[in-house]
Amino acid sequence: MRTLIATMGFDERRVLPSLRLLPYDHLVLVAGRDTFRSSGFRQLRTLEPDLETIRVNPFDLAGCLDAIRQSIRAAASRGPVRISATGGTKILTMAGIFAAFEEGIEAWYCDPEPIRLPILRGVRLIEGFAPAEQMLIRLLRRRNRLDRLVSAVMARGIPRRSVLGAVRSLEKKGLITAELEAGRAFVSPTPRFELLRAHLQEPPGKA
Amino acid sequence: MTVLFGTLGWRPQSLIPSIRSTEGLERVVFYHSDHAKSRDARAKVMEFCRSLGVPATGVELSDAFDLLESAGRIRDDLRKEKASGTAIRFNIAGGTRLMSCAALLVCVLEGIPATYVHDETYREIQLPLLRISYGAGLSPKQRQVLAFLVKNRDKRFSETGLAQAVGVHKATMNHHLRKLEAMGAVERVTDPADARRLIIRPAPGMELLIG
Repeated sequence: MRTLIATMGFDERRVLPSLRLLPYDHLVLVAGRDTFRSSGFRQLRTLEPDLETIRVNPFDLAGCLDAIRQSIRAAASRGPVRISATGGTKILTMAGIFAAFEEGIEAWYCDPEPIRLPILRGVRLIEGFAPAEQMLIRLLRRRNRLDRLVSAVMARGIPRRSVLGAVRSLEKKGLITAELEAGRAFVSPTPRFELLRAHLQEPPGKA
Repeated sequence: MTVLFGTLGWRPQSLIPSIRSTEGLERVVFYHSDHAKSRDARAKVMEFCRSLGVPATGVELSDAFDLLESAGRIRDDLRKEKASGTAIRFNIAGGTRLMSCAALLVCVLEGIPATYVHDETYREIQLPLLRISYGAGLSPKQRQVLAFLVKNRDKRFSETGLAQAVGVHKATMNHHLRKLEAMGAVERVTDPADARRLIIRPAPGMELLIG
């Protein structure tokens, strides 16, 4: 089943080209509360009675990103997913584009001509991280002593040299900060890391 | 020292908070449309930068509603700056929605830290972009094939013709093309001159990925 996730604002005319040009079997609309009360949305509902709605605060980037990411993951289990990040606030549009990069799905901008954004299908951002970096990301939850963190990662079979390289690399990528305090090194996740945490954490599996 | 890039619409307030908050600001480069209100906003930003003693350059985009063209222009400027080793920040809050999207695309692809300024509170919001090059998701050989196709976009290559042009065995080319096709980076389409033949062409926008 092909899913189309579309971001929407008050003007339903911005969404209509996407619905016309991008074929789908299931439609998911992501918008703010007021949009779902608008006459434009009611008209769209009459055209597509089975559409799924996701309510977000269209001025909260982290919230929008999280909601779209979850929606993509749910839809990906049913078949191919596309996103049209044409409608809604700029923040909602950006969250849509960024979620597509994170999850590796096709993204389009139809205003009104369809433009396919240069996102590689199936290439998730997490794949840009080495195994030692991925392990560090999973273990670092708050400010921590570097030696303890290194030991924890080494206990999972990763050599010390790789772990230290991963610390430097994550710092360079802007995900952690390292600092010296009373002769001891500490590492802390940055706000950017916090926003990416849900994407970077390992999905839950069987025990 | 840091060079601040930005997109500017009608409100200078969307860019000014980033000018204030950037540590060791060396220069400001911002993109705007040819609309009269955007030009007014440019004059205000220039005046603000002059009062701080920071050099500023306003770049008028020929078509602020062409996403790929705007992104191409921004990417070229960013790459020049990156090559000189200067630290870069990008404020993507102002300008048309397409300008902001173009800037966001370039920041994700090039791994540039980006911020957004809230429309009402004028508070800066850091976007969760990683300082990694997105194109690294392709293997060197896939990159080479895609770069060749992008460079020769106006030519028509069959799979075999492409293998000969790049200098690899046709079975190897088939392997790379299947991978690239699965990622949506290339498309196989019927040759308009010969309906029996399939030609390979890069997906739109891949210029941004390859450069």
